[in-house]
Amino acid sequence: MTETEEKADPPAVMIEPIDISKLDPDFREGIRSMPNGEELSACFACSTCTAACPIASTWKYKPHQLIRMILLGMRKEVLSSEEIWLCLTCFECQERCPQNVRVTDIFFDCKNLAAEEGMIPDSIVGLARELTDKGQLYVVTADWEREDMDLEPEVPGLSTEEFKTILKGTRTGRIVGGDE
Amino acid sequence: MPSYNLYMGCSVPANYPNYETTLFRVADKFGIELIYMEGVSCCGSPNLRAMDYLGWLIVNARTLAIAEKNGHDIVTPCNGCFGSLKDVYHFLTHNADYKEKVNAELKKTGVEFKGTIKPRHFIEALYNDVGIDEIRKNITKPLDGVGIAIHYGCHLLRPQDVTEFNPEIFDDLIRVTGASVVEYPLWKQCCGATVLPVNEELAIRLARDKLKSMKEAGAAFATVSCPACANQLDLQQLGLKESYGEEYNLPVLFITQILGLAMGMKDDEVGLAMNRVPADPILEHLSG
Repeated sequence: MTETEEKADPPAVMIEPIDISKLDPDFREGIRSMPNGEELSACFACSTCTAACPIASTWKYKPHQLIRMILLGMRKEVLSSEEIWLCLTCFECQERCPQNVRVTDIFFDCKNLAAEEGMIPDSIVGLARELTDKGQLYVVTADWEREDMDLEPEVPGLSTEEFKTILKGTRTGRIVGGDE
Repeated sequence: MPSYNLYMGCSVPANYPNYETTLFRVADKFGIELIYMEGVSCCGSPNLRAMDYLGWLIVNARTLAIAEKNGHDIVTPCNGCFGSLKDVYHFLTHNADYKEKVNAELKKTGVEFKGTIKPRHFIEALYNDVGIDEIRKNITKPLDGVGIAIHYGCHLLRPQDVTEFNPEIFDDLIRVTGASVVEYPLWKQCCGATVLPVNEELAIRLARDKLKSMKEAGAAFATVSCPACANQLDLQQLGLKESYGEEYNLPVLFITQILGLAMGMKDDEVGLAMNRVPADPILEHLSG
Protein backbone atom coordinates (compact mmCIF):
# COMPACT_ATOMS: atom_id res chain seq x y z
CA MET A 1 0.00 0.00 0.00
CA THR A 2 3.00 2.27 -0.39
CA GLU A 3 2.84 2.69 -4.12
CA THR A 4 1.91 6.36 -3.89
CA GLU A 5 4.88 7.36 -6.06
CA GLU A 6 3.38 5.53 -8.98
CA LYS A 7 0.69 8.15 -9.25
CA ALA A 8 2.41 9.63 -12.32
CA ASP A 9 0.89 6.72 -14.14
CA PRO A 10 -2.76 7.43 -14.84
CA PRO A 11 -5.23 4.97 -13.39
CA ALA A 12 -7.15 2.69 -15.70
CA VAL A 13 -9.29 5.12 -17.65
CA MET A 14 -13.00 4.38 -17.35
CA ILE A 15 -14.14 7.56 -18.99
CA GLU A 16 -12.37 10.14 -21.08
CA PRO A 17 -11.09 13.03 -18.96
CA ILE A 18 -13.13 16.20 -19.35
CA ASP A 19 -11.21 19.24 -20.56
CA ILE A 20 -12.56 22.06 -18.40
CA SER A 21 -11.40 24.73 -20.84
CA LYS A 22 -13.78 23.33 -23.45
CA LEU A 23 -16.88 23.49 -21.28
CA ASP A 24 -19.61 26.03 -21.97
CA PRO A 25 -20.81 27.44 -18.65
CA ASP A 26 -23.89 28.98 -20.29
CA PHE A 27 -25.21 25.70 -21.66
CA ARG A 28 -26.88 24.66 -18.41
CA GLU A 29 -28.78 27.93 -18.10
CA GLY A 30 -29.64 27.81 -21.78
CA ILE A 31 -31.38 24.45 -21.36
CA ARG A 32 -32.95 25.49 -18.04
CA SER A 33 -34.66 28.39 -19.77
CA MET A 34 -36.09 26.19 -22.52
CA PRO A 35 -39.53 24.53 -22.32
CA ASN A 36 -39.75 22.18 -19.32
CA GLY A 37 -36.05 22.54 -18.52
CA GLU A 38 -36.60 24.19 -15.11
CA GLU A 39 -35.91 21.11 -12.99
CA LEU A 40 -32.65 20.21 -14.75
CA SER A 41 -30.42 21.09 -11.79
CA ALA A 42 -32.41 18.84 -9.46
CA CYS A 43 -30.73 15.79 -11.02
CA PHE A 44 -28.74 13.88 -8.40
CA ALA A 45 -27.43 11.33 -10.91
CA CYS A 46 -29.28 8.29 -9.53
CA SER A 47 -29.54 6.94 -13.11
CA THR A 48 -33.13 5.79 -12.70
CA CYS A 49 -33.75 7.33 -16.13
CA THR A 50 -31.14 5.06 -17.66
CA ALA A 51 -32.60 2.01 -15.94
CA ALA A 52 -36.02 2.93 -17.35
CA CYS A 53 -34.82 3.46 -20.94
CA PRO A 54 -35.53 0.49 -23.23
CA ILE A 55 -32.55 1.27 -25.48
CA ALA A 56 -29.91 2.93 -23.26
CA SER A 57 -27.89 -0.29 -23.32
CA THR A 58 -27.00 0.54 -26.94
CA TRP A 59 -26.04 4.16 -26.22
CA LYS A 60 -22.53 5.49 -25.73
CA TYR A 61 -23.87 8.28 -23.50
CA LYS A 62 -26.71 7.07 -21.26
CA PRO A 63 -29.62 9.37 -20.35
CA HIS A 64 -28.27 10.21 -16.87
CA GLN A 65 -24.87 10.94 -18.40
CA LEU A 66 -26.40 13.28 -20.97
CA ILE A 67 -28.13 15.17 -18.16
CA ARG A 68 -24.82 15.36 -16.27
CA MET A 69 -23.06 16.53 -19.43
CA ILE A 70 -25.59 19.34 -19.81
CA LEU A 71 -24.98 20.38 -16.19
CA LEU A 72 -21.23 20.35 -16.78
CA GLY A 73 -21.54 22.41 -19.95
CA MET A 74 -20.52 19.78 -22.51
CA ARG A 75 -22.50 21.54 -25.17
CA LYS A 76 -20.71 20.21 -28.24
CA GLU A 77 -20.77 16.58 -27.13
CA VAL A 78 -24.47 16.70 -26.25
CA LEU A 79 -25.69 18.56 -29.31
CA SER A 80 -23.67 16.44 -31.73
CA SER A 81 -24.56 13.15 -30.06
CA GLU A 82 -26.65 10.72 -32.06
CA GLU A 83 -28.37 9.62 -28.86
CA ILE A 84 -30.64 12.65 -28.67
CA TRP A 85 -32.07 11.72 -32.08
CA LEU A 86 -32.41 8.06 -31.17
CA CYS A 87 -34.59 8.91 -28.17
CA LEU A 88 -37.86 7.00 -28.59
CA THR A 89 -39.75 9.83 -26.86
CA CYS A 90 -41.48 7.13 -24.83
CA PHE A 91 -41.19 9.25 -21.64
CA GLU A 92 -40.30 6.24 -19.47
CA CYS A 93 -37.25 8.10 -18.07
CA GLN A 94 -39.17 11.27 -17.34
CA GLU A 95 -42.05 9.39 -15.75
CA ARG A 96 -39.77 7.64 -13.28
CA CYS A 97 -37.41 10.49 -12.33
CA PRO A 98 -37.63 10.90 -8.55
CA GLN A 99 -36.54 14.53 -8.90
CA ASN A 100 -39.12 15.49 -11.53
CA VAL A 101 -36.47 16.26 -14.11
CA ARG A 102 -38.32 16.25 -17.41
CA VAL A 103 -35.66 14.17 -19.13
CA THR A 104 -37.48 13.46 -22.40
CA ASP A 105 -38.62 17.07 -22.69
CA ILE A 106 -35.02 18.19 -22.13
CA PHE A 107 -33.83 15.93 -24.95
CA PHE A 108 -36.43 17.65 -27.14
CA ASP A 109 -34.85 20.97 -26.13
CA CYS A 110 -31.41 19.60 -27.06
CA LYS A 111 -32.68 18.51 -30.47
CA ASN A 112 -34.11 21.98 -31.07
CA LEU A 113 -30.75 23.56 -30.27
CA ALA A 114 -28.94 21.03 -32.45
CA ALA A 115 -31.37 21.67 -35.31
CA GLU A 116 -30.84 25.41 -34.96
CA GLU A 117 -27.14 24.78 -35.49
CA GLY A 118 -27.75 22.54 -38.48
CA MET A 119 -26.90 19.32 -36.66
CA ILE A 120 -29.90 17.31 -37.76
CA PRO A 121 -30.12 13.85 -39.35
CA ASP A 122 -30.87 13.77 -43.08
CA SER A 123 -33.96 11.64 -42.49
CA ILE A 124 -35.41 14.35 -40.24
CA VAL A 125 -34.61 17.02 -42.83
CA GLY A 126 -36.57 14.80 -45.22
CA LEU A 127 -39.56 14.90 -42.89
CA ALA A 128 -39.26 18.69 -42.64
CA ARG A 129 -39.50 18.79 -46.42
CA GLU A 130 -42.59 16.57 -46.42
CA LEU A 131 -44.23 18.92 -43.94
CA THR A 132 -43.49 22.11 -45.90
CA ASP A 133 -44.21 20.54 -49.34
CA LYS A 134 -47.26 18.42 -48.58
CA GLY A 135 -48.46 19.85 -45.28
CA GLN A 136 -48.68 16.41 -43.70
CA LEU A 137 -46.59 13.31 -43.12
CA TYR A 138 -49.01 10.86 -44.76
CA VAL A 139 -51.08 11.64 -47.84
CA VAL A 140 -54.10 9.62 -48.96
CA THR A 141 -53.15 7.65 -52.06
CA ALA A 142 -55.51 4.66 -52.01
CA ASP A 143 -58.78 6.57 -51.98
CA TRP A 144 -60.65 3.48 -53.23
CA GLU A 145 -59.82 1.82 -49.91
CA ARG A 146 -61.60 4.68 -48.18
CA GLU A 147 -64.63 4.29 -50.44
CA ASP A 148 -64.68 0.55 -49.76
CA MET A 149 -65.02 1.48 -46.11
CA ASP A 150 -67.91 3.90 -46.79
CA LEU A 151 -65.67 6.94 -46.24
CA GLU A 152 -65.33 10.03 -48.39
CA PRO A 153 -62.43 9.50 -50.86
CA GLU A 154 -60.88 12.76 -49.67
CA VAL A 155 -60.54 13.53 -45.98
CA PRO A 156 -63.34 15.99 -45.11
CA GLY A 157 -62.09 19.33 -43.79
CA LEU A 158 -58.43 18.71 -44.58
CA SER A 159 -56.59 21.87 -45.57
CA THR A 160 -52.80 21.99 -45.70
CA GLU A 161 -52.10 25.51 -46.97
CA GLU A 162 -52.05 27.40 -43.68
CA PHE A 163 -50.05 24.61 -42.04
CA LYS A 164 -47.39 24.90 -44.73
CA THR A 165 -47.31 28.68 -44.48
CA ILE A 166 -46.83 28.56 -40.71
CA LEU A 167 -43.95 26.09 -40.88
CA LYS A 168 -42.22 27.91 -43.72
CA GLY A 169 -42.02 30.88 -41.38
CA THR A 170 -40.52 28.98 -38.45
CA ARG A 171 -37.37 26.87 -38.08
CA THR A 172 -38.75 24.10 -40.30
CA GLY A 173 -38.64 26.54 -43.20
CA ARG A 174 -35.02 27.44 -42.43
CA ILE A 175 -34.05 23.76 -42.18
CA VAL A 176 -35.56 23.08 -45.57
CA GLY A 177 -34.40 26.32 -47.17
CA GLY A 178 -30.85 25.92 -45.92
CA ASP A 179 -30.51 22.72 -47.88
CA GLU A 180 -31.42 24.07 -51.27
CA MET B 1 -75.98 12.96 -27.58
CA PRO B 2 -72.44 14.20 -27.17
CA SER B 3 -70.79 16.03 -30.08
CA TYR B 4 -67.08 16.27 -30.66
CA ASN B 5 -64.70 17.87 -33.08
CA LEU B 6 -63.00 14.97 -34.85
CA TYR B 7 -59.30 15.49 -35.46
CA MET B 8 -58.18 12.68 -37.75
CA GLY B 9 -54.52 13.58 -38.23
CA CYS B 10 -52.81 12.27 -41.36
CA SER B 11 -52.01 8.62 -40.72
CA VAL B 12 -55.43 7.12 -40.00
CA PRO B 13 -57.12 8.47 -43.17
CA ALA B 14 -54.17 7.52 -45.37
CA ASN B 15 -53.31 4.13 -43.91
CA TYR B 16 -56.16 2.81 -41.82
CA PRO B 17 -59.65 3.40 -43.25
CA ASN B 18 -60.68 0.35 -41.20
CA TYR B 19 -59.93 2.33 -38.01
CA GLU B 20 -61.66 5.45 -39.30
CA THR B 21 -64.83 3.66 -40.34
CA THR B 22 -65.13 1.71 -37.08
CA LEU B 23 -64.69 4.94 -35.18
CA PHE B 24 -67.86 6.23 -36.84
CA ARG B 25 -69.74 2.95 -36.57
CA VAL B 26 -69.03 2.65 -32.85
CA ALA B 27 -69.86 6.33 -32.30
CA ASP B 28 -73.16 5.86 -34.16
CA LYS B 29 -74.21 3.06 -31.80
CA PHE B 30 -74.15 5.51 -28.92
CA GLY B 31 -75.51 8.55 -30.71
CA ILE B 32 -72.14 10.30 -30.62
CA GLU B 33 -71.74 12.98 -33.25
CA LEU B 34 -68.24 13.27 -34.73
CA ILE B 35 -67.65 16.45 -36.73
CA TYR B 36 -64.66 16.44 -39.07
CA MET B 37 -62.70 19.60 -38.27
CA GLU B 38 -62.55 22.20 -41.04
CA GLY B 39 -59.23 23.63 -42.18
CA VAL B 40 -56.89 21.44 -40.17
CA SER B 41 -53.90 19.34 -41.18
CA CYS B 42 -51.19 17.20 -39.56
CA CYS B 43 -49.98 17.51 -35.92
CA GLY B 44 -46.37 17.34 -37.09
CA SER B 45 -45.57 14.38 -34.81
CA PRO B 46 -42.73 14.24 -32.26
CA ASN B 47 -40.37 14.82 -35.21
CA LEU B 48 -41.66 18.35 -35.66
CA ARG B 49 -41.44 18.92 -31.92
CA ALA B 50 -37.81 17.78 -32.06
CA MET B 51 -36.69 20.17 -34.78
CA ASP B 52 -39.07 23.12 -34.45
CA TYR B 53 -40.72 23.51 -31.06
CA LEU B 54 -42.32 26.85 -31.83
CA GLY B 55 -43.72 25.67 -35.17
CA TRP B 56 -45.13 22.61 -33.40
CA LEU B 57 -46.78 24.81 -30.77
CA ILE B 58 -48.34 27.09 -33.38
CA VAL B 59 -49.82 24.41 -35.66
CA ASN B 60 -51.31 22.49 -32.75
CA ALA B 61 -52.56 25.61 -30.97
CA ARG B 62 -54.24 26.50 -34.24
CA THR B 63 -56.07 23.16 -34.28
CA LEU B 64 -57.21 23.71 -30.69
CA ALA B 65 -58.28 27.27 -31.51
CA ILE B 66 -60.37 26.12 -34.48
CA ALA B 67 -62.20 23.68 -32.20
CA GLU B 68 -62.90 26.46 -29.73
CA LYS B 69 -65.13 28.13 -32.32
CA ASN B 70 -67.94 25.60 -31.83
CA GLY B 71 -66.99 24.79 -28.25
CA HIS B 72 -66.87 21.01 -28.56
CA ASP B 73 -63.92 19.04 -27.22
CA ILE B 74 -61.60 17.46 -29.76
CA VAL B 75 -61.41 13.70 -30.02
CA THR B 76 -58.72 11.91 -32.01
CA PRO B 77 -58.12 8.22 -32.76
CA CYS B 78 -54.32 8.66 -32.91
CA ASN B 79 -51.97 8.53 -29.91
CA GLY B 80 -49.48 10.73 -31.77
CA CYS B 81 -52.02 13.49 -32.41
CA PHE B 82 -53.33 13.06 -28.88
CA GLY B 83 -49.80 13.46 -27.48
CA SER B 84 -49.14 16.58 -29.54
CA LEU B 85 -52.46 18.26 -28.78
CA LYS B 86 -52.41 17.38 -25.09
CA ASP B 87 -48.84 18.50 -24.63
CA VAL B 88 -49.38 21.80 -26.43
CA TYR B 89 -52.61 22.37 -24.51
CA HIS B 90 -50.88 21.65 -21.19
CA PHE B 91 -47.83 23.75 -22.02
CA LEU B 92 -49.72 26.81 -23.25
CA THR B 93 -52.18 26.77 -20.37
CA HIS B 94 -49.20 26.77 -17.96
CA ASN B 95 -46.90 29.22 -19.77
CA ALA B 96 -48.50 32.60 -20.33
CA ASP B 97 -45.53 34.09 -22.18
CA TYR B 98 -45.49 31.29 -24.77
CA LYS B 99 -49.27 31.54 -25.07
CA GLU B 100 -48.90 35.22 -25.93
CA LYS B 101 -46.13 34.51 -28.42
CA VAL B 102 -48.13 31.76 -30.13
CA ASN B 103 -51.28 33.88 -30.23
CA ALA B 104 -49.36 36.71 -31.88
CA GLU B 105 -48.65 34.29 -34.73
CA LEU B 106 -52.14 32.83 -34.77
CA LYS B 107 -53.64 36.31 -35.06
CA LYS B 108 -52.34 36.39 -38.65
CA THR B 109 -54.56 33.38 -39.41
CA GLY B 110 -57.59 34.86 -37.66
CA VAL B 111 -57.83 32.55 -34.65
CA GLU B 112 -56.84 32.74 -31.00
CA PHE B 113 -55.97 29.96 -28.56
CA LYS B 114 -57.84 30.42 -25.29
CA GLY B 115 -57.74 26.92 -23.80
CA THR B 116 -61.52 26.59 -23.52
CA ILE B 117 -61.87 23.08 -24.99
CA LYS B 118 -59.90 19.92 -24.26
CA PRO B 119 -58.20 17.49 -26.60
CA ARG B 120 -59.08 13.89 -25.79
CA HIS B 121 -58.47 10.42 -27.14
CA PHE B 122 -61.64 8.92 -28.59
CA ILE B 123 -61.53 5.95 -26.22
CA GLU B 124 -61.36 8.19 -23.17
CA ALA B 125 -64.39 10.16 -24.36
CA LEU B 126 -66.25 6.92 -25.07
CA TYR B 127 -65.43 5.58 -21.62
CA ASN B 128 -66.21 8.70 -19.64
CA ASP B 129 -69.08 10.24 -21.60
CA VAL B 130 -70.93 7.08 -22.70
CA GLY B 131 -69.87 4.84 -19.86
CA ILE B 132 -69.10 1.16 -19.51
CA ASP B 133 -72.67 0.19 -18.50
CA GLU B 134 -74.13 1.69 -21.64
CA ILE B 135 -71.46 -0.05 -23.74
CA ARG B 136 -72.20 -3.37 -22.01
CA LYS B 137 -75.86 -3.15 -23.05
CA ASN B 138 -74.76 -3.14 -26.68
CA ILE B 139 -72.50 -6.20 -26.54
CA THR B 140 -74.37 -8.84 -28.51
CA LYS B 141 -71.47 -11.05 -29.61
CA PRO B 142 -69.32 -11.45 -26.52
CA LEU B 143 -65.69 -12.40 -26.97
CA ASP B 144 -65.75 -14.75 -24.00
CA GLY B 145 -62.52 -16.60 -23.45
CA VAL B 146 -60.47 -14.55 -25.90
CA GLY B 147 -57.11 -13.34 -24.53
CA ILE B 148 -56.14 -9.89 -25.77
CA ALA B 149 -52.88 -8.07 -25.05
CA ILE B 150 -53.23 -4.29 -24.98
CA HIS B 151 -50.54 -2.06 -26.41
CA TYR B 152 -51.52 1.26 -24.83
CA GLY B 153 -48.82 3.29 -26.57
CA CYS B 154 -46.40 5.77 -25.04
CA HIS B 155 -48.13 9.00 -25.96
CA LEU B 156 -51.45 7.83 -24.56
CA LEU B 157 -49.91 7.05 -21.17
CA ARG B 158 -46.99 9.41 -20.67
CA PRO B 159 -46.15 11.90 -19.37
CA GLN B 160 -49.12 11.15 -17.11
CA ASP B 161 -49.36 14.68 -15.71
CA VAL B 162 -49.92 15.84 -19.29
CA THR B 163 -51.98 13.01 -20.83
CA GLU B 164 -54.12 12.44 -17.70
CA PHE B 165 -54.91 9.01 -19.14
CA ASN B 166 -55.68 6.07 -16.90
CA PRO B 167 -54.72 2.71 -18.52
CA GLU B 168 -57.63 0.99 -16.75
CA ILE B 169 -59.91 2.70 -19.25
CA PHE B 170 -58.42 0.57 -21.99
CA ASP B 171 -58.59 -2.57 -19.82
CA ASP B 172 -62.28 -2.00 -19.09
CA LEU B 173 -63.10 -1.42 -22.76
CA ILE B 174 -61.59 -4.82 -23.57
CA ARG B 175 -63.18 -6.60 -20.60
CA VAL B 176 -66.65 -5.27 -21.38
CA THR B 177 -66.55 -7.30 -24.61
CA GLY B 178 -66.12 -10.47 -22.56
CA ALA B 179 -62.47 -10.84 -23.58
CA SER B 180 -59.76 -11.11 -20.96
CA VAL B 181 -56.80 -8.74 -20.74
CA VAL B 182 -53.54 -10.65 -21.06
CA GLU B 183 -50.91 -9.13 -18.80
CA TYR B 184 -47.39 -9.19 -20.20
CA PRO B 185 -44.08 -7.86 -18.87
CA LEU B 186 -43.45 -5.22 -21.53
CA TRP B 187 -46.91 -3.65 -21.43
CA LYS B 188 -45.52 -0.16 -20.90
CA GLN B 189 -42.81 -0.39 -23.51
CA CYS B 190 -42.58 1.60 -26.74
CA CYS B 191 -43.43 0.06 -30.14
CA GLY B 192 -40.44 1.84 -31.70
CA ALA B 193 -42.37 3.97 -34.21
CA THR B 194 -40.70 7.30 -33.44
CA VAL B 195 -37.21 6.00 -34.12
CA LEU B 196 -38.13 4.38 -37.44
CA PRO B 197 -36.87 7.30 -39.58
CA VAL B 198 -33.44 7.38 -37.91
CA ASN B 199 -32.75 3.72 -37.14
CA GLU B 200 -34.92 1.09 -38.76
CA GLU B 201 -33.04 -1.83 -37.27
CA LEU B 202 -33.64 -0.56 -33.74
CA ALA B 203 -37.31 0.10 -34.50
CA ILE B 204 -37.74 -3.47 -35.72
CA ARG B 205 -36.03 -4.84 -32.62
CA LEU B 206 -38.43 -2.92 -30.40
CA ALA B 207 -41.46 -4.20 -32.28
CA ARG B 208 -40.09 -7.72 -31.91
CA ASP B 209 -39.60 -7.30 -28.15
CA LYS B 210 -43.23 -6.29 -27.78
CA LEU B 211 -44.66 -9.06 -29.94
CA LYS B 212 -42.52 -11.66 -28.22
CA SER B 213 -43.61 -10.49 -24.79
CA MET B 214 -47.30 -10.56 -25.78
CA LYS B 215 -47.08 -13.92 -27.45
CA GLU B 216 -45.17 -15.56 -24.59
CA ALA B 217 -47.82 -14.33 -22.16
CA GLY B 218 -50.42 -16.25 -24.17
CA ALA B 219 -52.16 -13.50 -26.12
CA ALA B 220 -54.33 -14.65 -29.01
CA PHE B 221 -54.79 -11.08 -30.27
CA ALA B 222 -53.33 -7.66 -29.63
CA THR B 223 -55.07 -4.32 -29.70
CA VAL B 224 -53.91 -0.77 -30.35
CA SER B 225 -55.38 2.73 -30.38
CA CYS B 226 -52.85 4.35 -32.70
CA PRO B 227 -51.93 4.05 -36.39
CA ALA B 228 -48.17 4.36 -35.73
CA CYS B 229 -48.32 1.52 -33.21
CA ALA B 230 -50.34 -0.50 -35.76
CA ASN B 231 -47.56 0.04 -38.32
CA GLN B 232 -45.05 -1.32 -35.89
CA LEU B 233 -46.99 -4.23 -34.45
CA ASP B 234 -49.11 -5.36 -37.40
CA LEU B 235 -47.30 -4.37 -40.60
CA GLN B 236 -43.84 -4.91 -39.11
CA GLN B 237 -44.64 -8.59 -38.50
CA LEU B 238 -44.10 -9.04 -42.22
CA GLY B 239 -40.66 -7.39 -41.89
CA LEU B 240 -39.78 -9.65 -38.97
CA LYS B 241 -40.08 -12.66 -41.22
CA GLU B 242 -37.24 -11.24 -43.29
CA SER B 243 -35.01 -9.71 -40.62
CA TYR B 244 -35.34 -12.29 -37.86
CA GLY B 245 -36.88 -15.24 -39.68
CA GLU B 246 -39.62 -15.25 -37.08
CA GLU B 247 -43.36 -15.54 -37.51
CA TYR B 248 -45.57 -14.30 -34.73
CA ASN B 249 -48.98 -14.60 -36.42
CA LEU B 250 -50.44 -12.33 -33.78
CA PRO B 251 -53.44 -10.46 -35.22
CA VAL B 252 -53.50 -6.79 -34.20
CA LEU B 253 -56.89 -5.08 -34.14
CA PHE B 254 -57.87 -1.51 -33.42
CA ILE B 255 -59.93 -1.17 -30.25
CA THR B 256 -62.88 0.08 -32.30
CA GLN B 257 -62.75 -3.04 -34.48
CA ILE B 258 -62.93 -5.22 -31.38
CA LEU B 259 -65.82 -3.20 -29.93
CA GLY B 260 -67.58 -3.28 -33.31
CA LEU B 261 -67.32 -7.05 -33.63
CA ALA B 262 -68.55 -7.52 -30.07
CA MET B 263 -71.50 -5.26 -30.87
CA GLY B 264 -72.47 -7.51 -33.77
CA MET B 265 -70.82 -5.79 -36.74
CA LYS B 266 -69.79 -7.98 -39.64
CA ASP B 267 -66.16 -8.52 -40.61
CA ASP B 268 -66.47 -6.35 -43.72
CA GLU B 269 -68.07 -3.55 -41.71
CA VAL B 270 -65.01 -3.40 -39.46
CA GLY B 271 -62.62 -3.80 -42.43
CA LEU B 272 -60.99 -6.93 -41.07
CA ALA B 273 -59.48 -7.77 -44.48
CA MET B 274 -57.28 -4.65 -44.21
CA ASN B 275 -55.40 -5.91 -41.16
CA ARG B 276 -52.02 -7.13 -42.42
CA VAL B 277 -51.75 -10.18 -40.18
CA PRO B 278 -54.95 -12.10 -40.97
CA ALA B 279 -57.32 -11.16 -38.17
CA ASP B 280 -60.18 -13.45 -39.16
CA PRO B 281 -59.37 -16.03 -36.43
CA ILE B 282 -61.36 -13.69 -34.19
CA LEU B 283 -64.44 -14.60 -36.23
CA GLU B 284 -64.06 -18.21 -35.16
CA HIS B 285 -64.27 -17.12 -31.56
CA LEU B 286 -67.40 -15.17 -32.33
CA SER B 287 -69.12 -18.02 -34.11
CA GLY B 288 -67.80 -20.69 -31.74
